[in-house]
Amino acid sequence: MLLAAPLFALPETPPEALAALADRPGAVVVAGGTEVMPDLLWRTRTAAGFVSLRRVAALRGIARTDGELVIGATTPVAALTSAPDAGLRAAASSLGTPLVRTEATIGGNVISALPYRNLLPTLLAGGATLELTSATGSRAVPFDGFITAPGRTGLAEGELLTAVRLPAHRGFADYTKVGRRNAQFVATVSAAIVSRDGGARLAFGNAAPIPFRSDDVDTAATALLDGQASAADLQAAVAAAVDPPEDTIASADYRRHALGVLAVRLVTRAAVDGGLGA
Amino acid sequence: MSDQDEFVTFSLTVDGTPREVTARWSESLLTVLRDRLGVRGPKTGCAHGRCGACAVRADLGDGDPHVLCSCLVPAATAAGGSVQTIASIGGPDGELSDVQEAFLAEGAVQCGICTAGFVTAATELLETNPEPTRTEIEEALYGNLCRCTGYGRIVAAVETAARTRREQKSPVPLTTRELAASLRTGPEEAR
Repeated sequence: MLLAAPLFALPETPPEALAALADRPGAVVVAGGTEVMPDLLWRTRTAAGFVSLRRVAALRGIARTDGELVIGATTPVAALTSAPDAGLRAAASSLGTPLVRTEATIGGNVISALPYRNLLPTLLAGGATLELTSATGSRAVPFDGFITAPGRTGLAEGELLTAVRLPAHRGFADYTKVGRRNAQFVATVSAAIVSRDGGARLAFGNAAPIPFRSDDVDTAATALLDGQASAADLQAAVAAAVDPPEDTIASADYRRHALGVLAVRLVTRAAVDGGLGA
Repeated sequence: MSDQDEFVTFSLTVDGTPREVTARWSESLLTVLRDRLGVRGPKTGCAHGRCGACAVRADLGDGDPHVLCSCLVPAATAAGGSVQTIASIGGPDGELSDVQEAFLAEGAVQCGICTAGFVTAATELLETNPEPTRTEIEEALYGNLCRCTGYGRIVAAVETAARTRREQKSPVPLTTRELAASLRTGPEEAR
């Protein structure tokens, strides 16, 4: 442990981090700080101390094993901008600013559990799994279903998110989002696509209280890719499936419309840029 | 829990000087630099990572120094690390760096609150990419906001600094004074 104060711990290994967390009830796990620090500033979060993962070297970095990318939970978003996955690169490159991307982490993006966070549609479309580690061992859970409500996850007490595993694919992958301006914007809505074996798999941000995908949408997207359905058909399938939030940024109707547009945009890119489909 | 439990004590090297810091556990690196150590180069703008006025070059103890928003970093995570503020970019006697001179020459400074952050980010860019395109400059400065000059003069300043560095690789390097003059008049007239 590099530093152990009553309300602050700077562990160097995952076991040290778990022990530090157990010793500090009410402490928040902080990796890059880009999520937690503004929350504390605006008093949208309370915390009784920090356990910082910033110096746990084993949690940083990307490895390729058995057809998967294994991404350490505190790998900075800046490192994902050159990851060997086009969907991840696109989502990471449009997150925050260069000065934020060096600190923001993939784990923080997941644990924030907000439906508009950049990396989440890509992880959902790509079929990611999460590695959760506690003092008694590790378990792997699908990312699909991990987020249960805005800001809430299936992470148990005394557990840490230690890695994100993303299946490698040879198809086309991309991410796109729209916001209220073209600089430093949070997604009003967003979408990601992964296509493999001739099928398209889409996932959406701000299409529901949690990151969202649906088999009906994927069926319509694959049909569009194969020339068996029209863009309007896919937009209709998206509009029927989603349940977007309504807030001061945008109406639910706007989001429903924009999500359909983004879905068609990504399938078109898969066909034109990826050379997929009929 | 006593009041004292709120505090963390750690060491931090700031602009080459080792410092001992005692700060509340949640304090940002920016707050520690400005309010506890009196280091006023980094500015408080938005305080949540949007504006880049607080940008510093920091090695948070992992041997990977890079430019970041000091407002977003819990200060104690930098324990044992080092921070270079704008004071490390200029010379020891207040001499300006080539990037700073270029900002002056191009009229890229008005109220000045964003300048330290811009110069920090631009200096980092030129270290890693000595011949940036206009697009690369704009991308590198995407996390820095200016509300006075607009961005045209700032991007021009970075282009000027890059060009001046290339020209400086001539057999007889310009002195800082010559360099400063050259930014206004061109290198030949400066000699």
